[in-house]
Amino acid sequence: MSDADLDRATAEATDWRAPPARAVRLHAASVALGFAAFPLLACAAVLFTSDVDELWRRLGWCLGALLLASIAGLLLGARLRFQRWVLDDAGLWLRQGRLWWRETRVPVSRVQHVDLKHGPLERRFGLATLVVHTAAVHLSGITVRGLDDADAQHLRDALAKQLDDAGDAL
Amino acid sequence: MNDPTTDTAALPQDGQEHRLHPLSWLFVLIAQLKNFIPALIVLLFAGRGDQTDLYGLIAVVVLVAVSLAQYFTYRYLLRGDAIVIRSGWLHRSVREIPYARIHNVNLHQSLLHRLFGVAEVRLESAGGIKPEAQMRVLRLDQAEALEALIRQRGHATSNDAPQVDALEAAPLLAMSNAEVLRLGLISNRGMLVVAAAFGALAQTGDNVFGVLIDHWGEVAFGWFTGFAGAHADDNPVVVGLAVASLVLVALLLVRLLSVLLAFLQYHGFTLREDDARIRVERGLLARTRSSAKRRRIQSWSLHEGVLHRWFDRRSLRVQTASGQRGEGAQQSLKELAPIATPAHCDALIQHFLPAAGWDALHWRPLHRHAWWRIAVPGVLMLLAGTAVLTWHFGLIGLAMPALLPLQLWRARRIADACGHACNDQLVAWRSGWLSKTWNFAEIGKIQAVRLAQSPLDRRLGMASLLLDTAGASPFGAPLYLRQLPVDVARDLSARLLGQLARRRP
Repeated sequence: MSDADLDRATAEATDWRAPPARAVRLHAASVALGFAAFPLLACAAVLFTSDVDELWRRLGWCLGALLLASIAGLLLGARLRFQRWVLDDAGLWLRQGRLWWRETRVPVSRVQHVDLKHGPLERRFGLATLVVHTAAVHLSGITVRGLDDADAQHLRDALAKQLDDAGDAL
Repeated sequence: MNDPTTDTAALPQDGQEHRLHPLSWLFVLIAQLKNFIPALIVLLFAGRGDQTDLYGLIAVVVLVAVSLAQYFTYRYLLRGDAIVIRSGWLHRSVREIPYARIHNVNLHQSLLHRLFGVAEVRLESAGGIKPEAQMRVLRLDQAEALEALIRQRGHATSNDAPQVDALEAAPLLAMSNAEVLRLGLISNRGMLVVAAAFGALAQTGDNVFGVLIDHWGEVAFGWFTGFAGAHADDNPVVVGLAVASLVLVALLLVRLLSVLLAFLQYHGFTLREDDARIRVERGLLARTRSSAKRRRIQSWSLHEGVLHRWFDRRSLRVQTASGQRGEGAQQSLKELAPIATPAHCDALIQHFLPAAGWDALHWRPLHRHAWWRIAVPGVLMLLAGTAVLTWHFGLIGLAMPALLPLQLWRARRIADACGHACNDQLVAWRSGWLSKTWNFAEIGKIQAVRLAQSPLDRRLGMASLLLDTAGASPFGAPLYLRQLPVDVARDLSARLLGQLARRRP
């Protein structure tokens, strides 16, 4: 599937929902921060332990690593901008990634329970993460990140409401 | 455990609570000791003073007290619709398990259990790592009656008459000793034990293998000296023969061990069905009886390795939804046919899935360039191997790429052997070339679907489709359809999801 195909497929369904820009920024920043944690620790260690003559060289290495890790984290985190989701009568669709593209589909009758999570930063930006649990082993917790609060509530309610009239899926 | 009657008279049903078998504390103690074996060994070997002996004694006394406390506080009550288990002393719990929610019932008897005429009962519901209830131990007739009760109550709410005669029906599969022998020869169970033994020997620090080879060499050389003259030690043929014979002996031992283990685990294997429950009974010294509802089976897999093919046998396994791990995993229902002839396996599938059309599936091939994609990892390995060899040994390493055609041929064979099939009831994936596996599941058992493409897949126009079920192994989904043409994968995904949406479970 080429990018043109992907765009076309995305254009077909008008209600494919993308994460808001602030969600992408927040996710990229938090992943970058996570990646940078170790080089940051190394920097701190160097600052406190090295002799003066060695200090600048070592610090240079550490800062380089810090820069690389942050960039890698930013790029990885920014992949959230390729995420699309849509909820229809049959269930939830979730598309992720661009190079490593994947589309996950959960029929609503197979949803076991739904978690709505708000981290402290997510709360600050009015965002939420939805985790859809199924009885499957590998696709057991399907995570939709960077949802707008209102969307997340709506998704949760819609999925949970239909849970009531579905029977035991096992 | 051959009592065919479902006489529930042995069970106390008068609305009173009941206790486990009076000896139950002993088995609880033994189970706890198993957990404490490492600690006890440390106590025994690490400390040699009088004090540590005392600690050991105290530990044992505490364990006995805990076991007794468990016995005195564990009570169960059989109600019309559920079993109620009360346990705990300081931290009390009352657990109510409706019969209809109990998916699997396992009865286990080790040699010790058999000596005392008791059995351990595990009641499992869907999901969860621990069994819903683990009753160690009940008198054997009570355990069997409980099993029968769950079978009846869990199944027939409309129909109260116990269906006793179903049990008398002939087993769907009964393994003779010859079959168990074949199973032992085919399986590599012995290999695991040997690997463990090797590991343990390597840990001892003495050069056990060196000594072994030396001794064997002396024996073999001594024998050959009479044969090939005085200087046989230097003769490469003799050395080769010694090593080869040692390997042969090891292989024979592994097979022997496999056969022994097969007899221990599978002697008297019988598969029965009654009241839509599948029941398997097996074991020589320790007897295990597990049962599961037919409709709780999530996915099926039929396997045929090279050795299977020599003996004209296959094995049929199922995955049920209970997520048992460790100790419990050995006892839950997994194997419908450890080995059986291909025709018998097909007949079993036909029996359990009569409407599924297993024998009339229309198998569809992979993408026509799939072999390319399959060859990629092997070719990359080969290139890396070539680089390493050339680096170390010079130009001779460049001979490695001669294996390339072999690798491509192998990929081609694998690609030809794989395929998928789907009808209104079943979806199936066939894989492997030398060792073949067919995985399939009823469409209604699929929980979620993932369609994926890597950059290479995209270039070649392929996609992979993961159909996930509740009873999949955590080490690999049984229905992971790879290297399908992208439009076929899309169609299949849409079709399956359409069927799932229409079908309310």
